[in-house]
Amino acid sequence: MAGSYALYFTAAGHSLYRAERQGLERVAQFSADDAGLETFREHLRGEPGALLAVLADVTGEDFHEEHIPHVRGADRQALLSRKLAQRYRDVRLAAALPLGVVAGPERRNERVLLASFTNTQQLAHWLDALDEAGARLAGVYSAPLLAPALAAKLGARQERLLLVSVNRAGLRQCYLERGRLRFARLEPTVDLAPQALAGFVRSETQRLVQYLMTLRALPRDAGPVQVLVIAPPGARAAFEQALHSDTRLVFRTLDNGDALKALKLRRVPADTAAEALYLHLAAGTPPREQFATREERRRYRFWQLQRRIVAAGATALCACALVAGSRWLDASTLREQAAEELVRAQSAAAEYARITSTFPVTETSTENLKAAVVEFRRIAERSAPPERAFLHVSRVLQRYPQFELDSLRWSIASAAEQRDAALKGVAVDAQPDALMLIELSGRVSATQRSDYRGITAQVQQFAAALMREGYEIVRTQLPFDVTSEGVLSGDIGAASDGGEAPRFTVVLGRKLP
Amino acid sequence: MTFSREEVKRLVGPVVLAAALLACGLALVYAASDAATSARREFATAQAERRQNSERLARIAEEEREVKEKIDVYRRLKQLNILGEERRLEWADAVSRIRAQRELLDLRYVVERQRLLSSVQGKPGKVDFYASTMKVDLALLHEEDLLRFLADLRESGNAFYAVRKCGLTRTGQAPATATMTPRLRAECEIDLVTLVDRGAKK
Repeated sequence: MAGSYALYFTAAGHSLYRAERQGLERVAQFSADDAGLETFREHLRGEPGALLAVLADVTGEDFHEEHIPHVRGADRQALLSRKLAQRYRDVRLAAALPLGVVAGPERRNERVLLASFTNTQQLAHWLDALDEAGARLAGVYSAPLLAPALAAKLGARQERLLLVSVNRAGLRQCYLERGRLRFARLEPTVDLAPQALAGFVRSETQRLVQYLMTLRALPRDAGPVQVLVIAPPGARAAFEQALHSDTRLVFRTLDNGDALKALKLRRVPADTAAEALYLHLAAGTPPREQFATREERRRYRFWQLQRRIVAAGATALCACALVAGSRWLDASTLREQAAEELVRAQSAAAEYARITSTFPVTETSTENLKAAVVEFRRIAERSAPPERAFLHVSRVLQRYPQFELDSLRWSIASAAEQRDAALKGVAVDAQPDALMLIELSGRVSATQRSDYRGITAQVQQFAAALMREGYEIVRTQLPFDVTSEGVLSGDIGAASDGGEAPRFTVVLGRKLP
Repeated sequence: MTFSREEVKRLVGPVVLAAALLACGLALVYAASDAATSARREFATAQAERRQNSERLARIAEEEREVKEKIDVYRRLKQLNILGEERRLEWADAVSRIRAQRELLDLRYVVERQRLLSSVQGKPGKVDFYASTMKVDLALLHEEDLLRFLADLRESGNAFYAVRKCGLTRTGQAPATATMTPRLRAECEIDLVTLVDRGAKK
């Protein structure tokens, strides 16, 4: 709510209401004289910093339509201030209400309604009292300023509408054009019977329509004017009987109780008339347009700023809470999914355990069993027995009886030997223990030592015979050096070969699986 | 709207309150993000575990076949005392017994210090493979003596015998006398491989 209190200001006296969300409670009444003002001051002392809206429901209001150039911002503000100053001697309680833009032949103009009170002094002392008491003035409203909001709440959206209500201050008539205030007047009333009051409403309405036509505020050929009359409690039937529509006026009567319901106003003081509707709007959802100056509303605006800062913090907290909630929801969903996955994992593990329990009984785990056997097999594959190599050499030797072995060396090649073998063209894995080597050293008999070509051919044949079953020649060493780098010597024609048979060396390699 | 010093002071409270609310909100977001990250990690772990277990379960038929196939080897290793701590005394006994049975003329051997050959990670424990190199020097009448010696050694068990080197050399011409003189000499290096299963049930 914009204000905690609402001061209903009339020529006869003033009432202070405590405004609640769905109710109004009258807390004090003040006479319109100095004594009343003093009582008001006393009351305000007991409510320091009170939040308060003023609803003025008095006669002597002025409404004047002006056309100003269609400008915005500070220029518009300056223009309106000048217009108000030209129109009113005291602009303390003056306002310019926008009526819309009109396109002229040369430029666009804005229609504004300048509004003020002919006697601002009656209000000024009370506003001063509020200022002295440090009250937060939300705004100074007149009943006409609130009429568009009231009509909208009551569902009256006609292009031209007369909103008539019987307030404590008198008969309030507001003329709205396209939902905006165009003119209003207050006609004081005395206590009348419902029938008489209804007749008074009818005659005053006809007078106002006639006046508006005279002012050309209401076009003559615009058709009948819609009139929404808020009848006092218990007077609706009498009003409906008296207010029958004709070609100029179409009446719709609404009971005050129904109007209160439409505004969701449930609790009002018993002797309150239709002004309760305006008070509720002034305190709850006031329009932007009002009469108080910026300085008079400074405390209220500062209070609004404080609330907005806290509201911004609260909004940020809510936004963060939403984001956090969303993430927590994600986390919760993920945890549920994780729990489901764990259940499935455990179920699979249990099933695995159940099935493996039917496996042959071992003294170790399945993993260790596999690890032990696989690694053992790898080692065993790289540990070729020498017997097959011996057998292979033996078979070849049987076919070459002129070859006599002095030594046979079988070995799993070392890393260096593997490198040498690789350099000599033997395909070897990079892994250790990948190559088996056989070094055969011996003599070639039955051939003359000087027969280099014959010996060479025989050794090469022998070596070729050994190159089976995956064996490759790593190195062959002849009894003499036939390479260009070596020295070749001979003793041709000697009586006999007195020396021993020529020696040779053959190195074989075989890749292990 | 310009503010007086007094008004600025009165704005401090709401500003602090708004900042506190914002801080609370950010703390909530941080905590929720942290919880979400943690939950995401939990989910990934659980998913990986489930996937692993499911895959293992899917492979169980193959595993069963593998176990059945490997269990015989494992049992044989155990039976031959290849699986377990090395048995040097049994090795010495075996060499002596072979020498006596095969009537080998001269046989010398040295078993070197045990060394770790390889270590395989199993579950629940490792499987360690050890090797002790035995250097054997044999005097032979015939090369078949070496082959028989190696075959007997393998038959004796208590280790896996991985021959690393074996050399045969002539020692000279056979004398004309009737006494048995070795004609050949063999020098071999044999790795005596044993393995220790740290995950085996005691």
